[in-house]
Amino acid sequence: MKTLVIISHPNINESSSQQFLIQSFPQSEKITMHHLEGTYPDGQIDVKREQALLKEYDRILFQFPFYWYSSPPLLKHWFDEVLEEHFAFGYRGNKLHGKEFGLILVVGVGEKEYQTGGQEGFSISELTKPYQAIAKKIGMQYLKPLTIFQFPYMKEAQKMQLLIKYQQWVMMEKPDSLKAREVWIVNQLEETSHDTLDADESSFILDQAIEIIEDNRIELDELRMHIDNNDQ
Amino acid sequence: MEDQQWLITQLEELLKKSHDYKQKALLQATINLIIEQEERKEQLQGELDGRLWNPGNWGS
Repeated sequence: MKTLVIISHPNINESSSQQFLIQSFPQSEKITMHHLEGTYPDGQIDVKREQALLKEYDRILFQFPFYWYSSPPLLKHWFDEVLEEHFAFGYRGNKLHGKEFGLILVVGVGEKEYQTGGQEGFSISELTKPYQAIAKKIGMQYLKPLTIFQFPYMKEAQKMQLLIKYQQWVMMEKPDSLKAREVWIVNQLEETSHDTLDADESSFILDQAIEIIEDNRIELDELRMHIDNNDQ
Repeated sequence: MEDQQWLITQLEELLKKSHDYKQKALLQATINLIIEQEERKEQLQGELDGRLWNPGNWGS
C-alpha cells in the first residue's frame, strides 16, 4: 500500500506541532510527504500534476491545523481545483474509487470540549462531515481520523506516544488493532539501530522483548479460542 | 509475569541510555505494548472464567 500525506499549513516552520510530525515522519519508499504551501508558494496549483500524484497512491492522508472547523485556504483551493468533474466524480470520474481518505488534524482546543455541552458543542465527527461527504462523493473510503489535541500542553511521555501513533497511522492499515501493532513494533525493534544504544546487552534485551510479545500473542490467541469454543 | 517485569526494567534502562529520540519512543511503546498485552490477557482470562462458571453451561 502506498500512502501520500498531503500537508497544508501556511507557516509550517513556525508550527511546533507540524515540525514534530515532520521529524517523526517514517522513512519508507512507500510513504510520501507533500506540503502544498511549500510546493505552490504562489498558490497556483498544478492540477494535472496533483491528479497524476493521486493516481499513484492507494491512501491519501490530509494533515492540517483545524482552522475554524476547516482547513487552511490552500487545501480548500486544492479540493476545488484538483477534485474536478470527470476525474473525481461525474461521467468517467472514477479515478479515486476504492482509495482511502484520512485526516490528521491538529486541534488547539482540548478533546473534552468537542461534545454536546462542551465549549465547542460538536464532536470532531460532526465537524468533519464535509470531508466525509467529499470522500463519499468521490468513492473513497473514509478512515478514522487521527486528531491531535493541544500539542503544546503535551508532556514528554505523551509526545513520545504521539510520535509512535503518528508513525503507525501513516504506515499501518489497521493502526487500532493490537495484533497489527504487535507486528509493527516487532518489525521496528528488528530494524532499530544498535549504534545509538550504549549498552552491550541491547541485542539480548531487544530479542527478549520480541520473544515476549510473540509469546503473549500465542497466549492471547489461545484464550480467544477457548472463549469461542465455550460459546458453541 | 516476573519475566515481563524484569524485561520492562531492562527496557527502561535501555531507554535511558539511547541517544536517539525516535528510538526512545519505540522502546517506551514496546513497554506500553507488553503492559497492554498483559491487561488483555487478564480480561480474556476473566471472560473465560466467567463463562466456565455460568450455570447455563454446566449441563453441556
